[in-house]
Amino acid sequence: MSVIVQNEQNEKKGFLTPRRRRALKGWLTGFLFALPVILGILIFSYYPAIQTFFWSFTDFNGLEITEWSFYQYEYMFTIDPDIWRIFGNTLLYAFVSVPLGLVLGYFLALAANFKVKGVPVYRLLFYLPVIIPGIVSGILFSTILGGNEFGVINEILHALGMSAGKNFKFFLSGETAMGSLLFMGVWTVGGSMIIWLSAFKNIPDTLYEAAKLDGANAWQRLVKITLPMSTPMIFYNLITGIIGALQCTTPLVIDAAGITGAPGSGFDNSLYFVAIKIYNEAFGGGAYYAYASAIAWVLFAFIGILTIIIFSTSKWVFYGEED
Amino acid sequence: MEQNITLAGNIPVAANEDKMRSARRKRIILKIVQYAVLSLITVFLIFPFVVMIIRSFMRDGYSLAEFSAASTLKNWKDLFSDGAYMTPLLKTVIIVVVNVVIMPFASSLCAYSFARTKWKGKELTFALMLATMMIPASIVQLPLYVLFSKLGWLNSVLPLTVPNLFGGGAINIFLFRQYIRSLPKELEEAAKIDGASAFTRYARVTLPLCKPILIFVAVNAFTANWSDFMSPLIYMTSEDSYTLAVAIYQNTVGVRASAINVRMAAGVFMSVPPAIIFLLFQKNLIDGLTVGAVKG
Repeated sequence: MSVIVQNEQNEKKGFLTPRRRRALKGWLTGFLFALPVILGILIFSYYPAIQTFFWSFTDFNGLEITEWSFYQYEYMFTIDPDIWRIFGNTLLYAFVSVPLGLVLGYFLALAANFKVKGVPVYRLLFYLPVIIPGIVSGILFSTILGGNEFGVINEILHALGMSAGKNFKFFLSGETAMGSLLFMGVWTVGGSMIIWLSAFKNIPDTLYEAAKLDGANAWQRLVKITLPMSTPMIFYNLITGIIGALQCTTPLVIDAAGITGAPGSGFDNSLYFVAIKIYNEAFGGGAYYAYASAIAWVLFAFIGILTIIIFSTSKWVFYGEED
Repeated sequence: MEQNITLAGNIPVAANEDKMRSARRKRIILKIVQYAVLSLITVFLIFPFVVMIIRSFMRDGYSLAEFSAASTLKNWKDLFSDGAYMTPLLKTVIIVVVNVVIMPFASSLCAYSFARTKWKGKELTFALMLATMMIPASIVQLPLYVLFSKLGWLNSVLPLTVPNLFGGGAINIFLFRQYIRSLPKELEEAAKIDGASAFTRYARVTLPLCKPILIFVAVNAFTANWSDFMSPLIYMTSEDSYTLAVAIYQNTVGVRASAINVRMAAGVFMSVPPAIIFLLFQKNLIDGLTVGAVKG
């Protein structure tokens, strides 16, 4: 009897037995929920990335492609006089600013963890510079770190007795511009402070108490407990921080007019970063889309290799016993 | 403290008091040092913004010391009467409001799929989505510029809003997914037995429980779009389509470059909304920041 019923159903629905139908429906529901993001990453991430990859082997200028060649890469590595300086600047900035931010953020978090009244207010004040829009801090710090007698820090130093003719150059010198940009980053160290604070919270007090009983000093407690217990957080922030810093465009605001060269290149190209170069090539009037694409892909390849290296050497990351 | 009390029986009273006094003095000195450190850091971190506020009330070309001679309200009057900043403000508000509405819903919808449904290819899709965080913005901006220009979207708010309908950002989906997975499954299973469809379960059961992360994503959508600079700089190039950030930037070069202190006023003005939002929602923000950062 039951065999006959099943046969009938199979005949009626063909391929779609009730069970398969339910499975398909479940699959479809889940898929439909995710459909927007599937379309989103295809249209707005993967397809454009592939497009620039192809453009980098052409002479595309926004209108038409007339030839396919390796010329853009050849030009980049052998002819473009600025490119090595640009790669160097970008790497220097990323690999100094991110660790520097994490170290300073650690010390700031120590201060923000003092057991005194009113500490929450101080934490707020420390974090406040982080939420100021980038464009605002850009114009603000080109005034604070102004390289002439109108720069705020120079003004203060003059008031404190520095001779009137002398001024710190800050962004107006090839030698001090990078240092000034790194110095500017110090003001947003509240971001990593917050992350350190929550990392501290996740470390059980008993560990520190036990270490204290065993006679460990503050340095030993940092190296043997705090750092090992915070490795997932350090790891995550190193990766995302460096990927972000490699795409830094802050000098575009500081040096909007391009005092000695292209907009955002800083004094004597001292702040010329990859992302700014790409912007200038593509949108700076020349519409060198193919060349911009080639530089963008070199940047992307570097980020990809870096991420793989960090992930494959991440055995030192402590994820706790659960994972 | 406790030690002193237990020792009180054995040690002469005077010596004990001495000890307590020196301990108390030590503690007071420690507190003074701690407050001094905290205040010094505060002064250092806050002073640029105090300078910005002071400058916004001064005429151009004077040093800070000459404040009383150069003080004026003109910068603020100019800021609010000048179309160079007020038209962009309107544009910015439109973009921000639209994104604050669509980003939390778009990302929660997709996150629900990754957290609560089963389908073939789910893990792969999730990994591919997370991998997009590695793709530099400058690699996609150029083709998107070409695409938007073909669609005739340049200089409109569409390039800055429509893409957010499609998922609302990988990091937001990731945070939502983590949060939904931490919610108890029982409520949903009960709703399922009652015959609720998947969409009803998402909208009626899960979403109301996601309030903290909804607020986090909405607040982030606010600050990110309010401050966004590179995308509007690329996609909105005609002067009547500038956002506030681009207007401030464009006014640093060209005819308005000389009006430094109007720009300072604009900077103060532009910093106020994110600051207020941060003060109102600081708990959500800090919790949300650390979900992603600490758990990795």
